[in-house]
Amino acid sequence: MKLNGISLSCAALVLLGTGPAFGGLGGALDSVQADQAHMKGALRVTSNSGFTVHGISTAYGTSVREYTGPGGTVFAVAWDGPVNPDFEHLFGGYYTQYLQAAAAAHGSHRHLSIQLADLVIQNNARMRTFAGRAWVPSLLPQNVSADDIR
Amino acid sequence: MRKSLILAGLPLLLLSACGGGGSSDIGPTPPPPGQIIATPGPPNVEPVVVDAGPAQAFNTGFVSVTICVPGSATCQTIDHIEVDTGSTGLRILHASAGGQLSLNLPPAMAPGGMALAECLQFADGSSFGPIEVADIQFSTSGKSATNVAVQVIGAPNYTVPADCPPRLENTVADFGANGILGVGPFIQDCGLACQNSNPPLPGWYYTCSTPTTCAAATATTAQQLQNPVTLFDSDNNGVIVELPSPPAGGTASLTGGALVFGIGTESNNGLGSAVVLAIDDTTGFVQATFNGTAGLNAALDSGSNANFFTDSSIQQCTAAVGFYCPPSLNLTSTLQSAGGGASAAADFSVANLESLFNANPSAAAMPNVAGPLNIPAGTANPIQFDLGMPFFFGRNIFTAIENAPTPGGTGPYFAY
Repeated sequence: MKLNGISLSCAALVLLGTGPAFGGLGGALDSVQADQAHMKGALRVTSNSGFTVHGISTAYGTSVREYTGPGGTVFAVAWDGPVNPDFEHLFGGYYTQYLQAAAAAHGSHRHLSIQLADLVIQNNARMRTFAGRAWVPSLLPQNVSADDIR
Repeated sequence: MRKSLILAGLPLLLLSACGGGGSSDIGPTPPPPGQIIATPGPPNVEPVVVDAGPAQAFNTGFVSVTICVPGSATCQTIDHIEVDTGSTGLRILHASAGGQLSLNLPPAMAPGGMALAECLQFADGSSFGPIEVADIQFSTSGKSATNVAVQVIGAPNYTVPADCPPRLENTVADFGANGILGVGPFIQDCGLACQNSNPPLPGWYYTCSTPTTCAAATATTAQQLQNPVTLFDSDNNGVIVELPSPPAGGTASLTGGALVFGIGTESNNGLGSAVVLAIDDTTGFVQATFNGTAGLNAALDSGSNANFFTDSSIQQCTAAVGFYCPPSLNLTSTLQSAGGGASAAADFSVANLESLFNANPSAAAMPNVAGPLNIPAGTANPIQFDLGMPFFFGRNIFTAIENAPTPGGTGPYFAY
């Protein structure tokens, strides 16, 4: 880990990754269905107060949860399983920011923590288990906090 | 630090009486022995150094490994291979990836004639490369094994498959070392999931009809990367990582550490008074009690560069995202065997990581660093209490391999 790598130019990062190219973070409800098809997984929808969780589970044990607010936009995602999920699909239009931030963080192989103005990503990996979550702070519905993203 | 307190208060006479022996004399109980680090040499001890290595690592312990074309004396000794009790298997960065390995090693082949390759996934990216076969030797201890499957990361001419997810860490600069020696509690790196999954797990093992056309494939436990320690003729039931304590302000190079092969097999690797904590063989965890919460999934992991746990009352760093920056704290926890039983205290301190590095920018071994553990609560079997290198400093930490017999019981277990 190099501490001087933390000083990112956030403005430069925002210019890239404008608009969702795929489903996932920042995408709409139909993108969740596209993710389900891509993952070849079973979909389970749970409604909570103020947001809905779309859970996709694959036969090999990866679980992905996509969180949509009242407007139907995916404001957060969470995952766990024996491998990392497909981040390109899961992070949608935020994928390029993720790549840049992950390179700049040069964190440890076990824990990744990215905190940008409008993108938070946490990932954890050890031996045969991967788990993490990501959200866009500006898209969080009212009364929904990071603790709800599980 | 505990070690310096013991040495300061202990008369020399008592020091020589410490370190084992099962005498049943009636008399005053001697104080617990200070840490005794095994001397590097045959038959089973390699030196470990904690320094920046080739890519500005911190809190990473390194050994050297000699790699040879099988059955020959054509060898290379590669330094700064990370010692990792949280992974399994030997992996080396190829010279074309900024590493040192340039031998022409034979590829490991799947039945049917296709070469095997692997995607090694991390929290912050992946490393890809073919599996090749080598004879390996550890030059100080003399330990060796033949025809070992080794992942060669960044080997030339290989196209990284799309389902080996970026960010790619296929150079020494991105990977953080010249290689990694996974000596954790599992025998193989993937286990039954890679053998049995149908369709094959994406992002683990691959077969390659050509280097540019690798596709996800199953790999039997025999084909997977093995814990190299299990391949030794002797001293093959586990390892002990023995690191001295760095000064409180950290140091650029912490020498005098050791990687000891075997548990209870030689005069230098007995458990002594170490408490055995059984590891759950499915999850890889022991249990921890911390801040009044019991049953936290816990691990002792030399591949983790800090202690990671959840405590929302501890101030987080603003520049060094992912670490704690409080005024100095002393914390306590208890570790317990999976399934109940033996327990041991696990006390540690947390210092302000940013202050430490500002005061000592060249430090590569830094004690008392910690960070938040952000795991989604809905995760099945997440790690919840991760004791990394700061916990290893000043302690001898045993990792026993699954199914391996030891005087302290059958692995897997941690002990300290």
